[in-house]
Amino acid sequence: MEDYKTYLAENVLSEDKVVTYRLLSRALRVHPNVAKQMLYDFHKTQSTKKPGSVYATYLLYGIQKSVQHQNGNAMDIDLPSSLPDADPVDDDEVPSYTLALVQEDRLADVLKDYETISSIHVYSVGPHPAKDLTLLVDAAQSALAIKDDTKKPRPRTIVNSHVRRRERRGPGLKAAAPAPVKQESKAKAAPTKTAPAKPAPAPAPAAAPAKSKEESKFATPATEPEAPAAATKKPAPSLKRNTSAASGIMQAFSKAASLPKKAKTSEKSTPAAEDTPVALSDDGEDDDDVPLPKPGAASSRKSRKEREEELRRMMEDDEDEDMEEKADSPAPEEEEEEPVVEEPPAKAEAAKEEEKEIVTTTGDGRRRGKRRVMKKKQIMDDQGYLVTIQEPAWESFSEDEAPPASKQKPKVASSAPPAAAGKAKKSAPKGQGNIMSFFSKK
Amino acid sequence: MVTLDEVLGSGLLQKPSGDAPEALQRQITNYKPLQTFQLEKTRPYQQQYADIYFLRLTKIRPAVEAAASAAWEGTVLGGEKVKKVERVLDVRQGELCWVAGTVYMDMPLKPSILEDVSKDRWISAPTSVGHYYSGNVDDSIMLEDDSGRIRLVGNALQNHFMVTGCIVAVMGTENANGEFEVIDLLFAELPPQPERWSLSKGKKEDSEDIEMMDASFSGHPSKPPSKKIAIVSGLEFSNADTPYAMELNLLLEYLLGEALDPSTQRDELSHITRLIIAGNSISTTAAEHTKPAAAFDTTTPTNKFAPPNQHKKYGYDSSSYNPIPSQLFDNFLSELLPTMPVTLLPGALDPANASYPQQPIHPAMFPQSRTYMSPPKVGVGKDRDVPEEEEPGWFDNVTNPWEGEIEGWRVLGTGGQNLDDVFKYVESEDRLGMMEAMCRWRCVAPTAPDTLWSYPFQEDEPFVIKECPHLFFVGCQPEFGTKVTHGPDGQAVRLIAVPSFSETREVVLVDTETLDVERVKIVAE
Repeated sequence: MEDYKTYLAENVLSEDKVVTYRLLSRALRVHPNVAKQMLYDFHKTQSTKKPGSVYATYLLYGIQKSVQHQNGNAMDIDLPSSLPDADPVDDDEVPSYTLALVQEDRLADVLKDYETISSIHVYSVGPHPAKDLTLLVDAAQSALAIKDDTKKPRPRTIVNSHVRRRERRGPGLKAAAPAPVKQESKAKAAPTKTAPAKPAPAPAPAAAPAKSKEESKFATPATEPEAPAAATKKPAPSLKRNTSAASGIMQAFSKAASLPKKAKTSEKSTPAAEDTPVALSDDGEDDDDVPLPKPGAASSRKSRKEREEELRRMMEDDEDEDMEEKADSPAPEEEEEEPVVEEPPAKAEAAKEEEKEIVTTTGDGRRRGKRRVMKKKQIMDDQGYLVTIQEPAWESFSEDEAPPASKQKPKVASSAPPAAAGKAKKSAPKGQGNIMSFFSKK
Repeated sequence: MVTLDEVLGSGLLQKPSGDAPEALQRQITNYKPLQTFQLEKTRPYQQQYADIYFLRLTKIRPAVEAAASAAWEGTVLGGEKVKKVERVLDVRQGELCWVAGTVYMDMPLKPSILEDVSKDRWISAPTSVGHYYSGNVDDSIMLEDDSGRIRLVGNALQNHFMVTGCIVAVMGTENANGEFEVIDLLFAELPPQPERWSLSKGKKEDSEDIEMMDASFSGHPSKPPSKKIAIVSGLEFSNADTPYAMELNLLLEYLLGEALDPSTQRDELSHITRLIIAGNSISTTAAEHTKPAAAFDTTTPTNKFAPPNQHKKYGYDSSSYNPIPSQLFDNFLSELLPTMPVTLLPGALDPANASYPQQPIHPAMFPQSRTYMSPPKVGVGKDRDVPEEEEPGWFDNVTNPWEGEIEGWRVLGTGGQNLDDVFKYVESEDRLGMMEAMCRWRCVAPTAPDTLWSYPFQEDEPFVIKECPHLFFVGCQPEFGTKVTHGPDGQAVRLIAVPSFSETREVVLVDTETLDVERVKIVAE
């Protein structure tokens, strides 16, 4: 019973925190009313020991004096009723209660304004006078963050035995908790990730080292100036998409940085952001190692301005990238062997031949990537004739698009398990395509 | 006047005594929502709106004509006997007569679809006009039915609220200008009011005993405090740092019953049996403010291919979606729901359809709270016969307007758009009077579909009030107001204008026995 004193002393005096009765109640699993008394007792003993060391706020409930009371009601009466048959007398006095949060030092003043006080208790205790309510709000939020544990349910003041929750029917309701979704995508992404992180040098180490390596890679200054910012600030439009979106950026950064330089080394040694324009593309690798934004945390959100800015940059840099690729079109098949690109280990030698399709994302159930296509291009030659030439180009695609077989020859080179799995789904009806494919050069 | 000494040492202002208090049991009230404003999931939108007016006129005209013939039958004015005229077109010049029809207000400031079409404007944005009423002579009042239209003039019109879509009977003569000089004007008056407990009969017996007891002991000090429902609107959760975040917290603690002392918790808080949220729970306007106007003036060199407005590319930009407001609201609800059932009406700002009647907010907006909702109606086949007796969800997301029965009382509530729109037609500020007028017009949204966006109803016109509610509340109003209005047949309606919490920090409590109203103001300094 006495541990509340140590708890309060620790939090209020040592850690400079504001403790509300709810926080105390939830942290110590005591009844809220007892918590209120604990706060009072703590405040009283501390104030006698050393005045001014702790400050309290009080919660009042009662009826304020009639001055305000009248004000509140007068509007209904004063207004001219344009309906002659209206019943003006019926507007009886409406009792008006006030629930007020009051600072300790103003308590006496505020109390004078009340006709009756039906309830008063200490709301919070803090090391400073609570000038700013945000501290109290934070304390309230942290109280909410303490979750019930099933063994020792938190005491409630009012319970309702009639409460009903619906039965869970089928798997559809699983999404009630966002956590499983993330887990799932992680699990899915893990197997496809083991190999690509290690290209030629070391043949397929265990998954864990590879992962940690990638992690460290992204932590290096290579992508420092923009990438982490982009990743952490990327808002969470939907919880699920988030993983692939954020990682897509990361991945694109590193790839594009290495592209023009023809660097075959891993990005670890490539100071990616130093010179080239950062290229962003949508062929996101489902990379869970990237520091992900917490969807709920308000602090990680960035302003709309930044977001729009980024989105725009993403779009037009995607075009940039396409143009670069066109410029040195023979290069890509080697470049695409970069560690970032997901590729099954079995394809080490298959990579020698022309790489036709690179699948980079299977994580969220949708396959994205780039494929190599022959594009028709009409140009006007120097004599003024229109000449149609075919040239290879890279086109990003996503699973929802119609399979390439319909238009071009089937150029599917990747026969790796994950890709094959994705292929099976590829026959899905042509629905909403990937919007990025719209912007790529056709 | 309360002094500090009085309160010190009382109740909770003392050392903890060590004995853990027992948990109180929250009272419950009988609750039966009606599906009056529920629309089909697959509903067409191709119909014409004219049917709404036709249906409304056919539904309300008998009542108006009955009231009119009762009042005017046999009236002789200036030696001439008042005659009933069936159609507006049958009005003859110089003849004293009365006729019933639909009011149409012709106002220059009112948005007009004909004007939009003639000027080739095809995107209809919500009007930004605060008032259609301009006070000048250009505003004219028409009476129309399926035969034609006649302009109404006369001082008698000044005494009444008049909006498009209400059904009236007017008595007078047509003058030389072809206008109808109105001498008197009548509405349908309040519709018949059902008995209390008319929908949930099973409960009637036991409650009558209580009622009788209440009646005999009324005014007696030992009368047990009766149950209440709380109505709040305009919570407008926007960001974690809203200026009234603390008040929202206190509201939650108040409704949860964690705040205040044991006696108050026992006598008041545990008697709040239900929370009704009447619209505007979520606000995204705060996010709009941060939208920078000149954000793209400082385009970086990498943007050389991008015209400044390229970010506005195609349709919905998912990166501009702000999930915080709905998350906060969901948190709020999921905290509250374990101890209190909630009825949620959508409002103008909420993520529901914009046109009346607004359909329930989709459960997907509430990942945490939706487990308290009634399960989604699955198939069409087997479950078809069940819904009649299905229990309403503990967390009941309903339509706006919404009709239901709480503890036997018929309750009608809206999120406020209907009243706000009526308000634009008239000069007065008397919102309670307008609510009363709606009851007398027997139409909860008379201005739909003229200026209030509405679904094009074809078979039924649900806005017509068929049965007079006992309690009629309208959410999201600028200030609190309440009164009781009485009808000619002994009907009594408690009208409540529920203020926006974001503006006034007030929550309204309604007694479920007497329909008396209390208000609780929450102040955090």
